[in-house]
Amino acid sequence: MASSQPREWTGLQQFPVATQNALHTLLGKLRNEDVKSLTVLVLGKGGVGKSSTVNSLVGERVAVVSAFQSETMRTVLCSRVRAGFTLNIIDTPGLVEGLFVNDHALDTIRRSLLNKTIDVMIYVDRLDGYRVDNLDRQVVRAIARSFGPQIWKVGMVALTHAQLSPPDGISYADFVARRSAALLETIQKEVGFKKGDPEIPVALIENSGRCSTNSGGEKVLPDGTVWLPKLVEHIVDIATSSVPAVPIDKKLIDGPNANKRGKMFVPIIFLLQYLLVIKPMQMLIKYDMHNESENGPPWEKLSKRETEVAEK
Amino acid sequence: MASMLKTSLDLAVPEHKHTGVHQKLSGSLSVASHGSKGIFHIKSETSLDLNHESLASKRSKPFHISMKNVGLATIGTMSGIAGGCALQVMSGGGSGFGGWNGGGFGGGGGGGGGFWQGCFESFMAFANSEDPEKNYDSHGLKLGSPVNISKLNANKRYKISGVDLLDNRTGKLVGLDDPFYELITMKPGSIFTTAQFQTELENLSSCGMFESVTLDGLPQSDGTLRMRVSFVESEWQPSEAVRCVNVGLLPQSKPPDVDFTRMTDKEREAFIKTQEEEYKQRLRRTTPVILPNKVESDISAWLRQERRVTARILQTIRDRIQRWYHDNGFACAQVVNFGNLNTKEIVCEIVEGDITKLVVQFQDKMGLPCEGNTNMRIVERELPEQLQPGFVFNIEAGKKALRSVNSLGLFSNIEVNPRPDEENDGGIVVEIKLKELDQKTAEVSTEWSIAPGGSGWPTLSSVQPGGSVTFEHRNLSGLNRSLFGSVTSNNLLNPQDDLGFKMEYVHPYLDGVYNPRNRVFKASCFNSRKLSPVFTGGPGLDEVPTVWVDRAGVKANITENFTRQSKFTYGLVLEEVTTRDETSAICTNGCRTLPSGAFSMDGPPTTLSDTGMDRVGFFQANITRDTTSFINGTPVGARYIFQVDQGLGIGSKYPIFNRHQLTATHFLKLKHVEEGAKKAPPLVLVLHGRYGGCVGDLAAYDAFTLGGPYSVRGYNMGELGACRNFLELAMELRVPILNTQTYGFVEYGTDLGSSKDVRGNPTEYFRRAGSGMSYGLGVKLGLIRAEYTQDCNTGSGALFVRFGERF
Repeated sequence: MASSQPREWTGLQQFPVATQNALHTLLGKLRNEDVKSLTVLVLGKGGVGKSSTVNSLVGERVAVVSAFQSETMRTVLCSRVRAGFTLNIIDTPGLVEGLFVNDHALDTIRRSLLNKTIDVMIYVDRLDGYRVDNLDRQVVRAIARSFGPQIWKVGMVALTHAQLSPPDGISYADFVARRSAALLETIQKEVGFKKGDPEIPVALIENSGRCSTNSGGEKVLPDGTVWLPKLVEHIVDIATSSVPAVPIDKKLIDGPNANKRGKMFVPIIFLLQYLLVIKPMQMLIKYDMHNESENGPPWEKLSKRETEVAEK
Repeated sequence: MASMLKTSLDLAVPEHKHTGVHQKLSGSLSVASHGSKGIFHIKSETSLDLNHESLASKRSKPFHISMKNVGLATIGTMSGIAGGCALQVMSGGGSGFGGWNGGGFGGGGGGGGGFWQGCFESFMAFANSEDPEKNYDSHGLKLGSPVNISKLNANKRYKISGVDLLDNRTGKLVGLDDPFYELITMKPGSIFTTAQFQTELENLSSCGMFESVTLDGLPQSDGTLRMRVSFVESEWQPSEAVRCVNVGLLPQSKPPDVDFTRMTDKEREAFIKTQEEEYKQRLRRTTPVILPNKVESDISAWLRQERRVTARILQTIRDRIQRWYHDNGFACAQVVNFGNLNTKEIVCEIVEGDITKLVVQFQDKMGLPCEGNTNMRIVERELPEQLQPGFVFNIEAGKKALRSVNSLGLFSNIEVNPRPDEENDGGIVVEIKLKELDQKTAEVSTEWSIAPGGSGWPTLSSVQPGGSVTFEHRNLSGLNRSLFGSVTSNNLLNPQDDLGFKMEYVHPYLDGVYNPRNRVFKASCFNSRKLSPVFTGGPGLDEVPTVWVDRAGVKANITENFTRQSKFTYGLVLEEVTTRDETSAICTNGCRTLPSGAFSMDGPPTTLSDTGMDRVGFFQANITRDTTSFINGTPVGARYIFQVDQGLGIGSKYPIFNRHQLTATHFLKLKHVEEGAKKAPPLVLVLHGRYGGCVGDLAAYDAFTLGGPYSVRGYNMGELGACRNFLELAMELRVPILNTQTYGFVEYGTDLGSSKDVRGNPTEYFRRAGSGMSYGLGVKLGLIRAEYTQDCNTGSGALFVRFGERF
């Protein structure tokens, strides 16, 4: 995994003042909670804007993005330090190859995250995707499978390309609500969320440079909300919530230790094998031997001279 | 190292019918071995004589060659028996009395005593002494008119151009298939003198089949004679039944030394009466025959249809009875006499060949009797019960004895020989002659192998000298214990690269030679190197770096053989398993090449201890129940194998595990076929299932692999996955077409979702499917199978050529 020494978060100063203030408030909230560092994992299909989101979040061009091809080949960790607080953002390659989930890519991501603890997972998708298809379900399931279902409990959904004109007859708010509801429903169903599980927050993102800005120079959505502080707020909410962070350890990567499973039953299993397999087979063989001597070739019996008859 | 030795066991018993009554049996058994391609090799005996032989190269037990080329055994040389109790058929003078002496009765009238005796040895002598290539003399007679042999020139040698048999009763020539032709030794093309003609005539007239016989020669234009035998067949009163009796061990009745011509009628009558009485008494002392009543009654039924009992009918009866005996393997059985002729019930006297004695004898290299090193009891316990005195000799019992004694592997030559008992008339002494193999053998063999060089072509430097040293000390203390050792290397210049060794001690008769239970103790130390199918790529991941699994250790087990195929083995194994990569360096993890071309070393751990080297001790048991038997070359029956490796917590990481495997294979015969050589094999459906599982510590090298010629055909070894539990199902239908076997099959293997339970999930890591199905068609040509298999995962098919059996 490409990573560098934690650097000073200089990008923070590039944000508009209003955004900076909002972020500082949120960081202060984290400091109050005594959170010294935050690790954010960004996952999603290819080309949905994961790297762009990372860039927007950090305020620097940390990940190479390109309009027409996938530039992220491997996971990239970027760490930024600000006033004793470290933000780790992990950018990952797309999870889809062809029309299937790339398990291999997922596995590589997982292995590269060994010994890290994921505080927040951002699942990135496009807002302008109109429907949730089978591939989306597979991706959701694959994430749950590789990182454990609990990853979704620290997860949030980020919908990019948020500056869009909704189809005719639907208001923007309505469209966002329906799109996010459909996605959340799928996630909750695929991952098997129960009642009482935390609600997955949805953040809207517009990474494009042509994004409208308000008077303070902050990037705003068509409905006028400033999205970046909103996104960070969700991250902070999850990080400070009661849901524990997800550690990625050897056990998770290698799966459960099957070598230990049922080990205590080994003597019993062996005993049962002896009694239920070996013994009956021995008996069957004895039966075969008996049969063989009874039903040998005809000459075996014929050549026996019946002496008692002869003595008569 | 595969043994290239093939031992063929072939036992043939050709029967030569020289004449109607004389049968000579001879058989031969040969144990031959064929070495593989001739590769120069030096063979050293214990005497350290070096002799160069072009023998096989790769074989584990090369010394077998020297002994197995020899070996023949004869079963049943029955000429003695047949000669001693040459067939006698008697006809009684109205009273059913069978005369014992030929003289007075020979060629008598209808009611008169008939007596025939085959003097076939003399016939044989004639036939052999004549060289048919020799010149002959022209007859110098007038053509067209028959000449009695008494009128022929005594000094001339006549060539016979043909023989005709003329039945004087019917006035017709008899067909060539007539049994009487068997009696005639004159064959077209042979050269006879008048003396020989005279003997032939005497033999014919004294054989009892004919009331009168004359022999004439018809001169032919080319100077040869066409012989005509005119005869009147002997006849007796019609009978209704045949009774067979065994006269086997009765003393041969000697013909009374009396001269009938000097007797008065009264004396003669009295004499005949006493003879009759004696015969009755003799019949009382006979024993029942093993011939089933059914054969007897069949013959009786047939006999009732005949108007008269003629010599030919008797001959047919004799042939039918003898055929039954010989078909059932009683090669020594002979019909020796017919008695009570001219009565309602003919008595057929049979010598069945009762065994009176069983002799086991050792022979030295020169074939002289000697003291054997082998404990006699070892040979005796292999002999079938049916060879013991009191049983009727059967050639199958002889064959069985031969096979089982041969399977001891102690003798270079085994003969099972029935011979007539000189002290006990009609009895058979079974002689078993054994030539022992050398106890100690040692051998050094060298071979050159050509390894492909860097460019794929062999270069001079890639020619590697290899070789092996083996020694065997067999039959220790005469109890068939043996010690065997071998060291092999494919490259003597660098033997540390792949030094294979094996040392084995075999101790049979663990429960003593007198105990019928036969348990064999075996202890061995060994090493082996195998390619691990666990580290194999799935489709699309071809270039997986190989992982070699080296095992070295000691093993001690006890095998109990129940039947020829069913056995139970249990023992302990202590071994050190090392996993190595292509460069023979120890490797700890599997690796693969990433799509980017990078080399990833983070694969599944190869060993349990993560160090690349495991030590493990476990208990191993294997029980096989095999009831298959071969019908025309194809197995029919069922086979169950259960194998369990029980870890005992001995070794690296104190492994405790239970690794088990159950295999069940059923060969169902769908159609009945007649058994016999060159007959087509039956239609067989093979159902096969295998389950394996492991509870506890499982190292990658011990994981079960799916795919391969003995798992799911059409895939490479391990191509489908490496797992903790698996299930394999296969079905094969074998259809004989034109005496070759064709088959169609479907196979399926699944990991039961247990691939993830193997550490590092090698199935997923190497992108394998975890389950797969295949189907195909094949044809079996001898040992080779050619099959086209369709792989259902990728949907592609391929043609495979394989050796041996799948199941």
